[in-house]
Amino acid sequence: MATPYALIVLFIVFSIVLVSIFVFRPGITATRGGKIMAFLVLFALPLLCFGLGGATEMEHSKSTKFCLSCHIMEPYGQSLRVDDPMHLAAAHFQNHRVLPGEACYTCHTNYAMFGGMKAKFGGLKHIYVYYLTTPPAPQDIKLYEPFNNRECLHCHAGARSFEEGAVHTADPDLLPAIKANKHSCLSSGCHETVHDVKTLKEQKFWKGAG
Amino acid sequence: MLSANAMERRLQFAGILLMLGLLVEALCLTFGRGAVGFLIFAGVGGFSLLLGISYYLLALVRSGSGGH
Repeated sequence: MATPYALIVLFIVFSIVLVSIFVFRPGITATRGGKIMAFLVLFALPLLCFGLGGATEMEHSKSTKFCLSCHIMEPYGQSLRVDDPMHLAAAHFQNHRVLPGEACYTCHTNYAMFGGMKAKFGGLKHIYVYYLTTPPAPQDIKLYEPFNNRECLHCHAGARSFEEGAVHTADPDLLPAIKANKHSCLSSGCHETVHDVKTLKEQKFWKGAG
Repeated sequence: MLSANAMERRLQFAGILLMLGLLVEALCLTFGRGAVGFLIFAGVGGFSLLLGISYYLLALVRSGSGGH
């Protein structure tokens, strides 16, 4: 267990002990000090515990490990290790263009206002589909909506390799169209191979740096 | 175990709900590291805490209105 988790769990256990005092000895609220203490222990402390724990859980839910904890996502995790630079997700993961520990979230979040929340609600929808309906086979999983170039441009906009790339500058109308999300980075035939889970059995895999 | 005094009994009930919620949160943070753990943390733990806090605040309001 990582240290921040241990500290938060200890804090929660400490809070449980304090709350239990009021459960077993409610009479101490008869005094003014007891009333103030009760407010802190029965109102402020639980809120603080939920806030701390919630923030930690939210941060953990961005991790690649969290996303791949669902069995159905395993092929997508494997696709990050395909030994072929033409596979977009694999190239990003293996070359640390995204943080390996947050590889899924970095590309699949929504870089707009309340985008993180929208991504989390999308995650709840995944859980609903996974546990309460018949989930599709991994190779049949589709995005809920077309991938927006905004998510790519969050990192690539302004980068020399993007702004001055030979293909990107060959047509003067191309860059403005990409930036306006009128020409998709992924589905216009340019960076089309992202997670090719159908062909995983035929692929070679990178074993990793460590 | 529950007190004969109505206000104290409400506090005890709120405390039990809060202890339950906090226990669920601690267990989820310790053992539940997947999507289900996240749901239980937010759903069961969060709901118990919300109920406990609401019940405590309601107890305060009732004791305040009863005193006047």
